[in-house]
Amino acid sequence: MSAAPRRSALGRTLILVGALAALVLASTLLGDVRIPAGVVLAILGQHLLGGILPGGPCAGASISATQCRVFDTIVWSNYVPQVLLGVLVGAALGMSGAALQGTFRNPLADPYLLGLSSGAAFGAALLFVFHVGVEDADLVLPLFAFAGSLLSGAVVLLAARSPRSSVTTLLLTGVAMSSFFSALLVLTLLYNPTGNLQVSFWLLGGLEGATWIQDGIVFAGVLIPGSVLALYGRSLNLLQLGPDVAQSLGVDARKTRVRVLLLASIATSVAVAFAGVIGFVGLVAPHVVRRIAGFDYRVVLSGAAVVGATFVLGARDLALVVFPGIEVPVGVPMAFAGALFFLYLLYRRPGRAGGWGGW
Amino acid sequence: MSLNQPEARPTRRGVPLALVIVILLVVAGASVGGTALYLELRPAASPSSGVTVTDDLGRTISVPRDPARVAVLGPNVMDSMFLLGLSSHVVGIDCSNATLGGLEGDYTPGQVANWSLASIPCITAYPALSTADLLAVNPDVVLASSVLPIAQLEEFSATYRIPVVIFDPSTLGGVVYDVELLTSIFGASSTSVALVAQLQAVLGESSSLLTNLSNNGTPLRSVFMTYYPVPAGSPDAGYYTFGPGSFGQSLIELAGGTNVAGSAPTADPELSGSQVLAANPGVVIYGVGFGVDLASYQQGPDWTAIPAVANGNVTGVDVTWMTEVDPAMILALPTFEQILYPGLGPA
Repeated sequence: MSAAPRRSALGRTLILVGALAALVLASTLLGDVRIPAGVVLAILGQHLLGGILPGGPCAGASISATQCRVFDTIVWSNYVPQVLLGVLVGAALGMSGAALQGTFRNPLADPYLLGLSSGAAFGAALLFVFHVGVEDADLVLPLFAFAGSLLSGAVVLLAARSPRSSVTTLLLTGVAMSSFFSALLVLTLLYNPTGNLQVSFWLLGGLEGATWIQDGIVFAGVLIPGSVLALYGRSLNLLQLGPDVAQSLGVDARKTRVRVLLLASIATSVAVAFAGVIGFVGLVAPHVVRRIAGFDYRVVLSGAAVVGATFVLGARDLALVVFPGIEVPVGVPMAFAGALFFLYLLYRRPGRAGGWGGW
Repeated sequence: MSLNQPEARPTRRGVPLALVIVILLVVAGASVGGTALYLELRPAASPSSGVTVTDDLGRTISVPRDPARVAVLGPNVMDSMFLLGLSSHVVGIDCSNATLGGLEGDYTPGQVANWSLASIPCITAYPALSTADLLAVNPDVVLASSVLPIAQLEEFSATYRIPVVIFDPSTLGGVVYDVELLTSIFGASSTSVALVAQLQAVLGESSSLLTNLSNNGTPLRSVFMTYYPVPAGSPDAGYYTFGPGSFGQSLIELAGGTNVAGSAPTADPELSGSQVLAANPGVVIYGVGFGVDLASYQQGPDWTAIPAVANGNVTGVDVTWMTEVDPAMILALPTFEQILYPGLGPA
């Protein structure tokens, strides 16, 4: 890419970052309890900048001290962690989706196509159903989901290392693992009906249970593989020319595929473990970025992270506005929008964005 | 098949197939015959030997008077049968299938022990009602909760000429009607008279309490009553509670409280930790049973941050008092009143 288009792409990416920042602030003002915006901002200022407001964050808001403490807990211990979790999870899913679409050269590749979601759901169901380690559930539950997700990812990774592996066999291995873990999930749920409700909610994803500790873990679990993944932009660009051409230009297609798969699996597993299964983010975000900022994977990877985060936060806010008072899993509005986009992808006129092989 | 193969081979293949068909026909015939025999043995109940009642769905049903063999489908119905001293009539009770916990999937360990349910044959009702199990206990009448598949029960009743009475009270007063309904089937006794009087007395005392609170200008306490927590850290963390139109809401109001989830959009909403904190309930009541205990709630979001919990205004009660609409729910009213207004003394 020449300098001018690249500057333009970067400029558009910066606009996306600005939009995300604005959405983060707006999302913090929005929750399942109505709190005056001034109080929310004052509470944020109080925590981020220290005790700058004389009389505390609720001074002048005609709110009792007890009510103020309650609002403080809601904003700082619930809303902010939820918003941050949404950003991190969306970024992980968006970036992983972009990396996998680039690796597989397939516009329909998605982090969940590797069976990661089914594996995670199976892991979570084991905890719900058998009440294993219910103590400290906020950390034990993600651990179970993470283990299940990695188990599925490990099988696909092993397949990727096989000399007989191809893009098609890898995708089909993911589909097979997905079916396998779905069957295990159903079998597990038969043993405890009360787990059904929780697992079905979990399968649609959500940010409701976010805590600061979780955010810290997800931050580390997404930042490390995400940062390394971002370095594979050039390799993914060359892979789009075909494995042989990429090989001749110094990119080992098989090694790149295995490493990208590993990094995307880790990032996705961490995201799924803490927020459940939020579908379509990894599928849709890369397409949006390619439309806005072009096909350079050095931009697409980070851009998909930003767009993914925007989507997840947008879905959370949409659910809160459209269904006030009802806890609608984030995955529901996301699935509605994602499904429509998926259909658009399937039925659009070919050739406009390079067709199937051009991704 | 090759051309030089003997022609007899297809015939030999046909022999086992024919045998299988014959066996299937015999088995099918036996099943039909069995059903016919069953129907033949069970004539339609004559009006003179029975009593006509109207169940909670408004259906008029003829049932045998004081039936000896009763199938009970629903813990709320079993509670009434037990309190009326009619347990000895029960020849079958509902249960979940083995993978869903069997008898203890439907009844708490306390109910199983107190009502001596372990020795009563089990009729699988969840996830699907087993007609075969129901037939196997050869009931004179089936008393079923409305949570069971009513269309299937009506078809069962029409096919096998076994009356089915549905219990579906819409108010706590309806529970008293259900007890009277059972009394009209089994006949009045000193126990049934005493139970009806006791239930009416408790409901009457509840009305008096509300009047007294109103006359004294005592502010009604706000109550958060939850029956199931989803742990913090789970994507759908929160607490299941009772919304408008639910029996839980009625219970809170009759005990002199106001339900913090009274304006929720559904009858069985889940509140997030933030919503509970914002509602700032004066009293928290949580249900215990079916594997859920205080430790489960302590894993819920913001549990310890709820001011009422921090101040000790939190009490655990048997979850069936909240969720099963039966006499036990009414008889628990004084306990709820004591939780809300401990200074009032025994009702």
